[in-house]
Amino acid sequence: MKKIVLTSMLCAGFAYGDIAQLLDEDKRTFDSSKYIPDISLIGDFSYVNRSINDDELSHLGLPGIAHGLYAEHAHGGSNEATYNANQGFNFNYAELILSSSVDPFFSMDATFHFSESGVEVEEAYFTSTALGNGLRLRGGKLLSNFGYINAQHHHYWDFGDMPLVYESFLGTHGINELGAQIQWTAPTPFYLMAGVEVLQGENEQMFGNGSIELEDTWTSVGEEHIEGTDAPSLYVGYVKSSFDVGDTTIFGGLSYAQGDSLIDHSEDEDEPHVFKGDGKLYGADLVVLHAFDSYRSLKWQTEWLSRELDGVQYTPTASADINKEQSGLYSQLIYTHDKNWRMGVRYDTIYQNDITKDGVDMNEVDDFNKYSAMVEYHTSEFARFRLQYNRNEAMYDEAGLRQNIDTIMLQANIAIGAHAAHAF
Amino acid sequence: MKKLLALLTLLPLTLFAQLNIAVSYPYIGALTKTIGGENVKVTVLAKGKWDPHFIIPRPSLISKMRNADAMIMNGGQLEIGWLPPIINRAGNPKTMPNTKTFLNLSHHIKLINKPKSVDRKHGDIHPDGNPHFHISPKNILSLAKVIEEFLSSIDTSNRDTYQKNYHDFSKVWQQKMVVWQKKMKDKKGLKVIQFHDNLAYFNKEYGLVNIGTIEPLPGIPPSSKHTIEIIELIKKEQPCCILHDVYHSTKTADFISQKTGIKIILMPHDIEALEDIDNLSALFDYLTSAIK
Repeated sequence: MKKIVLTSMLCAGFAYGDIAQLLDEDKRTFDSSKYIPDISLIGDFSYVNRSINDDELSHLGLPGIAHGLYAEHAHGGSNEATYNANQGFNFNYAELILSSSVDPFFSMDATFHFSESGVEVEEAYFTSTALGNGLRLRGGKLLSNFGYINAQHHHYWDFGDMPLVYESFLGTHGINELGAQIQWTAPTPFYLMAGVEVLQGENEQMFGNGSIELEDTWTSVGEEHIEGTDAPSLYVGYVKSSFDVGDTTIFGGLSYAQGDSLIDHSEDEDEPHVFKGDGKLYGADLVVLHAFDSYRSLKWQTEWLSRELDGVQYTPTASADINKEQSGLYSQLIYTHDKNWRMGVRYDTIYQNDITKDGVDMNEVDDFNKYSAMVEYHTSEFARFRLQYNRNEAMYDEAGLRQNIDTIMLQANIAIGAHAAHAF
Repeated sequence: MKKLLALLTLLPLTLFAQLNIAVSYPYIGALTKTIGGENVKVTVLAKGKWDPHFIIPRPSLISKMRNADAMIMNGGQLEIGWLPPIINRAGNPKTMPNTKTFLNLSHHIKLINKPKSVDRKHGDIHPDGNPHFHISPKNILSLAKVIEEFLSSIDTSNRDTYQKNYHDFSKVWQQKMVVWQKKMKDKKGLKVIQFHDNLAYFNKEYGLVNIGTIEPLPGIPPSSKHTIEIIELIKKEQPCCILHDVYHSTKTADFISQKTGIKIILMPHDIEALEDIDNLSALFDYLTSAIK
């Protein structure tokens, strides 16, 4: 207790400056405080009001594409609720970012998401800084550079939720994996970059390689588990290019991902199933940004994703060859008016949902749409308040009936610490 | 045939002989070209008409950085919001901070107005002091010397050329400084208002006194409350004019001018900030003639 009193007195002393004196930095033996990495903390909070209640929402999905997107689910020990999951107030995360040089050859960055359900390592990787020749190597847990939005952290998105096609195909975190990435920037006068990634392959929605243990009731498989495949099992490649026309920047990319697909829905309440096969994902993205002046700009961003899943689907009593070909896109237009105001609209769609079971067309519904609009107010570069409206016409209930959802969302995103700088 | 071969082998040599130097802002480009002459090719990343704090990190800048042999930046956190990702993406060891081919100019200039406490309550402040130090003829001369030493250190074989170029530049520049000094002599003690304290070093050199800024705090857009305070201040202190940068909207300044009759003078901060300013002399010719 005495110690506490003493410390608080000392602290008070420092606050008033002239009571206690700290030694000059250069006089402190073995002082390492100069080596503290850049630290920033980003808090993301939201208030959500939906036209349906949380419990109903957790039973909705996109038939043959995704279900349980908005339910707290615990697959393989992780408990990743989607952002803005609940009616009323949400604490999405407090994101802690640390970054620093390691030595003349590497830098290291880490991003942690602290939330009420625990801590997630969003990213933790080292990056080469001295390879030269346009080469850059990265290893660790990372957000894949597949497509455009995938590598961006949530707080950098222009909307509070992920585009429908990404969320449905890959989940809220996108391709966020352990692995290695190598990128090469060509020595061309315009921007041209190619990259390859070898990743563990543990995406819940589309890629997986872990063995799946089954209950005795599963007679269809003939064994107590479905054998996993060897990791790493996910490979990603992409080419991106960009050029400027006056004050307009055009940026485009083509991406491809391929991997083993073991998806475990054996514990689901209704229609439990397991899928084992191969997954292929194609992506194309185009961003056009025109700057009117230092603060006013118009940004048009479009991404198209298409995937093919081919393999066997098991239910407790039967198995069937399944082939899925599904495609969708989102397109958004964001107008930045000045340092204070931004606004934008987004259109999401999944327009292809071709599923065959043992060669028979399942005639699945293939008309999923979502419309969003948002307006943002920034008190400074470090605080953003966003009002967003979603009209979601993509969700179906278990009876196969479409349930339209209206959502109003007020989001606060607040940053302290090191000054962030974002890539294009 | 032999001649042709000799020519062919020499040709790439002359091409490679030029050092490709990436620089953040046009003024650094102009100085580097002046000192480097034929030996350097300069690639400027930012446009002079934009707010230097807010440059869009276009991917094309990554390519420019990737192909550079050296990098010169302003520093003092002026580039903090846009340059780091470009450096990081380019992955060029020659343009990495704290290497011998990377020059941070702010490390070689004494910055003024260093905040006593660093807290964003005071706006988006620059912890090291005001980074707009190039808007001062005196500092331009010091920066030219710094760039001369930098180029000499990374390209020792052309040291004499760089020293000669600096010497020539210095002679001409000093004569110009005398002229500018004369032009500004009767402006000493003049009170001015600015949008953002861009001209801190210029004002210091010529004895102008900045009594207030239109933005309430650095990086925070004007508020009606603060605008009213500025109007009161102008009525009380009678400053000569609002010295306004070219990239912020003059909407608030126009409003203040309507209420008080104060003059608004556009003050370019860099080459290309206004159309006819295409070199450093022109910039200071303009700045020293702007206040009538």
